[in-house]
Amino acid sequence: MKKITNLKEFACTPDRFLGGHRLCPGCAHSMIVREVVNATDDDLVVSTATGCLEVCSAIYPYTSWDVSWIHIGFENAAAAISGAEAMHKALKRKGKLYTDRPVKFVAFGGDGGTYDIGFQALSGATERGHDFLYVCLDNEGYMNTGGQRSSSTPIGAHTTTSPRGRVSYGEKQKKKDITMIMAAHGSPYVATACPSYWKDLAVKAQKALETEGPTFINALSPCTTEWKFKPEETVRIGELAVESCAFPLYEIENGTKLRITYRPKKKIPVKEYLGAQGRFSHLFKKGNEWILDLWQKQVDEYWDYLQRREECGV
Amino acid sequence: MPREVVSTGNQLAALAAIDAGCKFFGGYPITPSSEVAHEMSKLLPKVGGVFIQMEDEIAGISVALGASMSGVKSMTNTSGPGISLKAEQIGLGFMAEVPLVITNVMRGGPSTGLPTRPAQGDILQAKAPTHGDYQSIALCPGNLDECYTEVVRAFNIAEKLMTPVFVLLDETLGHMVGKAVLPDLEEVKASLVERRKFEGDPKDYRPYDVPDDEPAILNPFFQGYRYHITGLHHGPTGFPTEDAVLSQKLIDRLFNKILSRRDELESNEEFMMDDNPDLLIIAYGSVSLAAKEAIKELRKEGLKVGLFRPITLWPSPEKKLEELGQKYKKILVAEMNKGQYLQEIQRAMGRKDLYTLLKANGRPISPTEFKNKIREILEK
Repeated sequence: MKKITNLKEFACTPDRFLGGHRLCPGCAHSMIVREVVNATDDDLVVSTATGCLEVCSAIYPYTSWDVSWIHIGFENAAAAISGAEAMHKALKRKGKLYTDRPVKFVAFGGDGGTYDIGFQALSGATERGHDFLYVCLDNEGYMNTGGQRSSSTPIGAHTTTSPRGRVSYGEKQKKKDITMIMAAHGSPYVATACPSYWKDLAVKAQKALETEGPTFINALSPCTTEWKFKPEETVRIGELAVESCAFPLYEIENGTKLRITYRPKKKIPVKEYLGAQGRFSHLFKKGNEWILDLWQKQVDEYWDYLQRREECGV
Repeated sequence: MPREVVSTGNQLAALAAIDAGCKFFGGYPITPSSEVAHEMSKLLPKVGGVFIQMEDEIAGISVALGASMSGVKSMTNTSGPGISLKAEQIGLGFMAEVPLVITNVMRGGPSTGLPTRPAQGDILQAKAPTHGDYQSIALCPGNLDECYTEVVRAFNIAEKLMTPVFVLLDETLGHMVGKAVLPDLEEVKASLVERRKFEGDPKDYRPYDVPDDEPAILNPFFQGYRYHITGLHHGPTGFPTEDAVLSQKLIDRLFNKILSRRDELESNEEFMMDDNPDLLIIAYGSVSLAAKEAIKELRKEGLKVGLFRPITLWPSPEKKLEELGQKYKKILVAEMNKGQYLQEIQRAMGRKDLYTLLKANGRPISPTEFKNKIREILEK
């Protein structure tokens, strides 16, 4: 197992997701992907759903992927990786593989390809128990097709299909809790992560890859283009999300044992996280105070819930 | 008064839906069609309508069908891969006779294809999007004005004939910014068609008990008329049946209600065809814009060329095509695919000796390409 101790050493390991791709400057996707694929020295098969990552990382005749890579339709990254994994298992059983080096299977999807259109394939693959890691690059919307809402978009956010204006304050629904849903599948390991906390993410990725069975990581990927903040602020926005507990970092084993992996020393008000992003700017106008209050209440209740679960060991 | 606006094809399609009285949009984002959804999400709340972005393409059409059953004009919007996903539910629309407008802003295919580039690769898909026997209707705007007028017409046809109707835009038209002249709003409102309703005693209501060439009469939900809607073969009441006679009658009627009105559905443009040109181009959609420009320039050089442009692609203008095939010796068919409508033209004309200008690389056909091809043909 690869040793992950300090950032300098980790950053110097041979890259399996290379630069030169066309993701936006300041995009968190590449940070997450690099950490995940570099968290193991084993061979890798990666499937990627249609999305920002897919369109930007392999534009003919270039590619950023120094691993086996499948681009599949929008809705079935988890199904494609299931096929690859099942066949690998069968060939291994029959002794027909040309090498006995271990292989890991990873699927990447955006929140659209995970929470929404790809959910059926992900749920099926997890239920069947394929040995793979699914990483959701959660930027809370359909950023590849022009910034539409998804079921990951949090309440109050402006998107192109939940526009703010005189009639509407933006997104009406609250963010779907995909990590808990995946934990409820009985997956041996699920976690949330954020690239602003590099070690937390890398260690979780490694743990997920080393765990046999279907594992899942929901990684928050602050989106400079559609969340509307400056490209150099990506890491800070991620920090604000975690320090305000808007996006708490935790892991769950076998659907039954929750552990909070990072506790903010001093929990900051969620306003600071929301205020740093253009997509929420209208919430600070008169008349929308109730949405900020609702946000804070939901964040507090959820953080409290996580702590109580951890205390009880469930 | 006619309205002059500067807009894009996608935005005009949305505006047309609103003006046609559409009150429900259900869909899923997909390039290059998403702007239709963006626009609907802004416009619908202002007219008391409902916009829902669903979790996937299948849900996108299903929710729109459900809304339509409750009596409102309903729309969904997508691009080729989305039609592939929606296919089964489009079949339900045909079978259960649920009115729905489906805009397809075509992009390169198959599969993920060329998401940001134009194509006319879904022409045969629009004819036969799903399994089984049915007659589909597909309208194909050829300029910005028609992105508006054809969507209005689609709503009218859908409501009148109780069937899903396709409007085929392509990436070029969908994203083209330009001036459009729209008909007077009052005129549009006056032209609108609403679906028929049964007004008698609910006990006597039999939604599919209609003459051989008439659409079903589906009363809106929530108004005291209870009935059964199914994708299974069904009899006059709507309940499933395996009866051989009823099954045959149902499928025959799905064809007859449309084909018996073929003439009124037909819509074509004849451009510079009055002086019996030496060569006739047949093109539709955005390709016709390049064809027209080429024709104007070639005529300055003394080459007599004209254009025939079908606007209703399905059902095709069969008789008209047959006439043209007899009248014109040299015919050039141009489309952004490998010859999907060419097949229909050949069939209708009973001719195989047509010239072709076909392109399936995600690039529009330019006026220069038209000119070179036409010079080559006419100078032979």
